Amino acid sequence: MEHIDILIIDDEEKFAAMLARRIELREYHSKVCHDGKTALQWIEKHLGSVSLILLDLQLPDMYGTQVLEDIKKIHPTVPVAIMTGHGSEKDKKECERLGAFKFMYKPINIDSLMTILEHIKEVPND
Amino acid sequence: MIKINQTFIKNFWPTFHNHGQNSHLKSFYTFTDYWRLWVLSVLILIATALLPLCLVTIIHYQLIQKSVDSELNLRVERLSSNATNAINFFMEERLDALIFTVNEIGYDKLTNKRKLDEIFKNLKLGFGGLTDLSVLDTDGNQINYSGPFNLEGKNYKNQAWFSESLGKKYFISEVFNGYRDLPHIIIAVRSVKPDGSFFILRATLDTERLFQKLTSYRTGDHADLFLVNNEGILQTPSVTYGSIFEQTHLILPKKSGNRKIVETPPKKTDLFISKHSFISTKIVGTPFILVVQKKKADMMHTWLDLRRNINWTVGISTVLIILVISFASTFMVNKLFLVDKAKAETMLQMEQSHQLASIGQLAAGVAHEINNPLAVINQTAGYIKDLFSFKDEPRNDEEILEYIDSILDSVDRCGTITQQLLGFVRQFDIKIKKVCLKEIIADVLNFHKKEAEYRQINVSTSFPDIIPEIITDKGKLQQILINLINNAFQSVDEGCSINIIVSWITMGTIKIVIQDTGCGIPEENLVKIHEPFFSTKQGKKGTGLGLSITYGLVKKLDGTISVQSTKDVGTAFTIVLPVKIQEKELG
Repeated sequence: MEHIDILIIDDEEKFAAMLARRIELREYHSKVCHDGKTALQWIEKHLGSVSLILLDLQLPDMYGTQVLEDIKKIHPTVPVAIMTGHGSEKDKKECERLGAFKFMYKPINIDSLMTILEHIKEVPND
Repeated sequence: MIKINQTFIKNFWPTFHNHGQNSHLKSFYTFTDYWRLWVLSVLILIATALLPLCLVTIIHYQLIQKSVDSELNLRVERLSSNATNAINFFMEERLDALIFTVNEIGYDKLTNKRKLDEIFKNLKLGFGGLTDLSVLDTDGNQINYSGPFNLEGKNYKNQAWFSESLGKKYFISEVFNGYRDLPHIIIAVRSVKPDGSFFILRATLDTERLFQKLTSYRTGDHADLFLVNNEGILQTPSVTYGSIFEQTHLILPKKSGNRKIVETPPKKTDLFISKHSFISTKIVGTPFILVVQKKKADMMHTWLDLRRNINWTVGISTVLIILVISFASTFMVNKLFLVDKAKAETMLQMEQSHQLASIGQLAAGVAHEINNPLAVINQTAGYIKDLFSFKDEPRNDEEILEYIDSILDSVDRCGTITQQLLGFVRQFDIKIKKVCLKEIIADVLNFHKKEAEYRQINVSTSFPDIIPEIITDKGKLQQILINLINNAFQSVDEGCSINIIVSWITMGTIKIVIQDTGCGIPEENLVKIHEPFFSTKQGKKGTGLGLSITYGLVKKLDGTISVQSTKDVGTAFTIVLPVKIQEKELG
């Protein structure tokens, strides 16, 4: 099974596509899901084959915190970073409570994202 | 003491007269005309309080007047009745004595001079009040006389009383002077001689004794008792009408069969209460009418005293009531005004917060809408840059890379701005910690060091001896100070000054004043400066969010912010902050 370094869950297609391409350019594998359900299904099928999940809070079918909760049920150890355009302090607290390890505001700096990814890969958590 | 006086005056002095000075507040007042309210309240209360008082007073007056009148009437009636009885008795007694004499003694003995003297002496001893006694024949000749005057042999044929007494069995005359030239009354009894012809026994009454009897009933200075005849001529001296035989012009009751006299009811304007009664013995009437007059003033005196007292009491009560009502009304309307004012201020504040809140929501929407495209631009530009960096071909085109960097920079800046805009509504965590005011102010001023030197702006700071260390949210306080100091720098010209003064208000609160000698804010703009997007800075310099954000931040730090400004003189922003902020969950 192909290993995915970063799973991007975001409904903004152009943003997700661009980010995915830039990650590919940096020779990492990425995968994009545009809604929560698809993402959850994919994670269920590919348990253990993803290093980092980037999760947007505003998704068309469900709210990000719900997706996060479900991800943690399926795969409790996978690192999930939240990226949002205007998440509130309440959202931040809720995500931290549900096990998100990072809360980032858009726009995302690709270099810091890479640093995070490298750090995760150095310290395997499974 | 002075303080108490001031609060007292504040409470009872109309403070509502300056109502309506602030046109912005005016629209929120419930009542528009406080003076009208005051006047209405005073009038209604005075009417309610004084109307019953006046009514009771008037009723009281009438009751007293009535009782005084009836009491006066009763007194005069009693006096009149007593005096009438006494005079009647006086006359009757003497008439009876004469009748007895005539019937018992007989004509022969009566014509005897010695015998008549003896009878007269006995009569005087037994009854008194007689001056003389004489016997007359039908021709008017005085046959016999006993008395002090030299009247023997006088003829009375032409005298009015004689012819009248000849026609009646008993007769009592009016007072007249007669031969002796002294006022006297005659009592005559007609009898029959042995030969069948008439003779008359006449006695003269001592008028002095009658006068004394009348005088004895006169009680007080204001009572007058006197006798008049049917023509109103005085028969005894009167205090009011003069001496005997004077015409009184009194309206006298007409003699009728019934002895009772119907008095005309006294009028309110009459000075006297009068009672009339006919003097009459059981067997014969007299020409006399007893008049009793009593001046009302005598009895009224007590009443007038009482009325004066009542008037004073009512007067003083009225003044007191009016004063108390005026003060109470002022107090009430003042309180009402203050409550109304507080309400209006709250409404104004609410309106402003509402504006801020709605603008905040708008800002959030805008920020959200901008943020996503910005993220796309950011990634796209980043990708182009990546293409240049990772692919072989155009990787050395430095100029293009520079442009892309500038796009990315701009996107970053836009992102920062939208984040700040979101910060306007987003509830950040309050990071509460100890903050040194002096340091934080110095840090902010540091940003402007170069600008101040370049524009020759004199910046001064002043701190109290104990430099305040306050426990608050450092980030917010910093932002407040940055905003206000930026404003000050933008509003001053070269050579002007900016002062920052920190002072204690109480142990728990401090005041920070940021003063400039700049262009000032026109009065019409003062109420608008906290509104979002209100800006007088033309062009790109201002967004109009600075002060409204500052306003919100100060509120979040439990503080207050106020502004005083005079156009062309300068502006002073005053922030009052608690030294220790209350920790609370803001969500």
